[in-house]
Amino acid sequence: MKYAFFLGCLIPARELSYEVSVRKVLPELGIELVDMKGANCCAPFSIQSVDHASWMALAARNLCLAEEMGLDIMTLCNDCYESLLMVNNILKRNQELRDKVNQILSEVGKEFKGRVDVKNLVDVLYGDVGVGKVKSAVKEPINGLKVGAQPGCHLTKPKRIHFELLRGFNELDELVQATGAESVPYERKEMCCGGPLRDINDDLARQVSRQKLMALKDAEVQGVVTVCPFCFLQLDLGQLEIKRHFNEEYNLPVIHFIELLRLGMGMKLEDWEVKAHRIPITGILKDRL
Amino acid sequence: MKSVKSKNILGCLTCPLFCTVEKLESVALNELDLGFMGEVANTPRGKGILLCIQCGRCSSGCPIARLTSEHNPRRLMEMITLGFKNEVLPTQLPWYCLSCFTCLDRCPQGGDVGEVMFAIRNLAVRLGNMPAGVAAQAKSLYETSRVINPVRTALDRRESLGLSKITTDGLEEVQKILKRTGMDKMVKKE
Amino acid sequence: MAEKAVMVVGGGISGIQASLDLASRGYKVYLVEKSPSIGGRMAQLDKTFPTMDCSMCILAPKMIDCSHHPNVQLLTYSEVKAVKGSQGNFVVTVLRKPKFVDETKCTGCGICADHCPVEVPNEFDEKLGMRKAIYMPFPQAVPRAMTVDKENCIECGLCQKMCQAGAVDLKQQPKEVELNVGAIIVSIGFDLFDSAQIPTYGYGRYRNLVTSLELERLLCASGPTGGHLIRPSDGKIPRKIAFIQCVGSRDRRFNTTYCSSICCKYSVKDAVLIREHEPNSTVSIFYIDLRAFGKGFQEFVNRAKTEYGVRFIRSSPGEIMEDPQTKDLKIWYEDTVAGKIENATFDLVVLCPALVPRAGAKELAKVLGAEVDQYGFFKAANILTNPVDSTVPGIFICGYCLGPKTGDIPDSIMQGSATAARVAEGLERV
Repeated sequence: MKYAFFLGCLIPARELSYEVSVRKVLPELGIELVDMKGANCCAPFSIQSVDHASWMALAARNLCLAEEMGLDIMTLCNDCYESLLMVNNILKRNQELRDKVNQILSEVGKEFKGRVDVKNLVDVLYGDVGVGKVKSAVKEPINGLKVGAQPGCHLTKPKRIHFELLRGFNELDELVQATGAESVPYERKEMCCGGPLRDINDDLARQVSRQKLMALKDAEVQGVVTVCPFCFLQLDLGQLEIKRHFNEEYNLPVIHFIELLRLGMGMKLEDWEVKAHRIPITGILKDRL
Repeated sequence: MKSVKSKNILGCLTCPLFCTVEKLESVALNELDLGFMGEVANTPRGKGILLCIQCGRCSSGCPIARLTSEHNPRRLMEMITLGFKNEVLPTQLPWYCLSCFTCLDRCPQGGDVGEVMFAIRNLAVRLGNMPAGVAAQAKSLYETSRVINPVRTALDRRESLGLSKITTDGLEEVQKILKRTGMDKMVKKE
Repeated sequence: MAEKAVMVVGGGISGIQASLDLASRGYKVYLVEKSPSIGGRMAQLDKTFPTMDCSMCILAPKMIDCSHHPNVQLLTYSEVKAVKGSQGNFVVTVLRKPKFVDETKCTGCGICADHCPVEVPNEFDEKLGMRKAIYMPFPQAVPRAMTVDKENCIECGLCQKMCQAGAVDLKQQPKEVELNVGAIIVSIGFDLFDSAQIPTYGYGRYRNLVTSLELERLLCASGPTGGHLIRPSDGKIPRKIAFIQCVGSRDRRFNTTYCSSICCKYSVKDAVLIREHEPNSTVSIFYIDLRAFGKGFQEFVNRAKTEYGVRFIRSSPGEIMEDPQTKDLKIWYEDTVAGKIENATFDLVVLCPALVPRAGAKELAKVLGAEVDQYGFFKAANILTNPVDSTVPGIFICGYCLGPKTGDIPDSIMQGSATAARVAEGLERV
């Protein structure tokens, strides 16, 4: 399976380790990633809040790039996923908006045709690769590790856009179990990490991630597994910020699912990748790194 | 504290009884904009305001509403319906929302608060009400085609790992798009 | 002859009323019922508004009338399989499932059940209690005979051995009968919306979270607790009880955007009953709108507020959480009048779910050739002028299977009589 790899803005800027792990793991599972040349920002929450037409056109431009490549898009960030998926779905179904957006896109010689789909990393791992294949790729299972899985808001909500039924989101838990780790239930699992308010209202963003960390701590997990770079930032770096502002320590290492999988497949993380985790992961994964 | 200005008050105390905003103790009824609800309904993503039945299911799950009484999705919908335009658009109220869509998931009627919030923010921006953080991201988007850019060390590491370059290849087209939608003017306003 | 015979499908109060009206006019009535006994939902209820009479006490005489009336033939544990013909002359194929008990011999003494080794959840008690594989669904069942649930029966033969009347016959076969009737009445009633479809409420995961029908069984003297209101998790008497209205109702996320029309009324009734039962308890009703239309209901609501101290909170809660130790339930809600977001803990929470078409309604409609509406309820030929006529001439509909009209018991009885009159009108035209 081949995908147009939509990186977004945050990962190249602050979480290179996520990108590197994805590039190392996915080809081993049969997924080929093709870079998107000239892709622009997906138009996340902040930009959507400024102007509607701009959001639609900017997201649509990326969709056009993927259409020109003839490939579906895979994103890593929940914000990117939500933005591109929503615009893709809306423009596919609403002729009036589609015409309006294509009028704007004609300025840059592009036309949205509705030919591709948008997926996120969990979709690809669960749907294309499958839990079974993931499990068999895990040569060194990470047994005994209890983690809280954070799917993030935009993978699970709004359900009527992402899924047809109001069912619970089990995919990430199943994938985590496939690595040998145990995905522990905790309260308010579907609650936001506070990411969208980062730099807009830092105080509230901190308070929200603090609620999340409190719930995780109550569930007595050893670590947190994320799939979105915002969630990672809020929960990892966020713990340092919370220490500063609330004088509370949680000592919960946060790791991206793909990194966990990478370790489970027997690969090692480089020094700089280990250090990219502000809360040290050396404690829970000492021999693996 | 606002007081009723009209000479024709009945003294029936309807306004203080109805008032849901904690800071206002009574309200000048001639300061309400009764067209506000219609304006929001005709803004993209704002149609849900017509369907809200004020059941309160949205607020009971909102993570921000549990942290601060300033933010209350149901009350915000009520304020829009009643016409409190000046208490909504120029204030902090539109900018507490996380867009986590918990409210939207639970809304039974299609009030879709989470979507209406985007409509409110679009309207607020047109009046010049935009938090610094949002303005900074919009400016970065206009200048580089991205909302955040990697610093030197990140770019160096990219190169050392042999990864694709982060370019501004898309910038020209992004700027053309933003000029066409008029967002370039909103950015430069700041 | 066909014109003097009618089939009524569905043995609830609506179908029973229609059957009795027609029988007393001289029609031969075949009353077909899917479960082993007639009675329907009304048999499950404790007390009914407004008289607060015991539901079964009002229903049972009508059920007995049906069983004794010379013109009424009960075909329980039976289903309609095929229909041919048209008004005045339908040929209906009815599948009679074997009860493995001879109804003419069984006295309903229950010795067989006492000895049956198999216990399964009792559907009549909304699965709160148990029954045996050979069972009578409830003490006042009509016909008064046992039924063997072959799916769970292990064929040990103990029941057959213990039966003094020789009524058990484990070799009974299903039988198809063809009946010639002039008209058909459908009165199959409703099911409850599956509240587990709303994961934030936790139905199915939390023990002390029950539906309104489950509550009725807990309050009912013939129910699994003998009428004592106790918490399912620990058997303690609940002191703080909450009702949540509009669970799945008026909800565009599911195909139930309508108002089910009876829930506000019955929840206030139940709240008053509980306050009478347990004066030391508090009852809170979480509602969006309180729909108390019709004779006496608004006054009843006012009395609930003033005389019985029922608390009304205008709020549709977003989520319910369970305390893992106490199994108490915490409801997060916004009091929309005060504008404050709060949580409150309760011992027992009752969900009032939407009322939806019975399972099997769509299939039955297909067999009859009748149309259903977008929700799956039977469609009226003309919703304004012919509300109890189905879209097939000669087939009539009454009770909740035609949708949330006003929906309560007097209305179902009214509609039952209406269909009886319509049947007679159609068949007696001069």
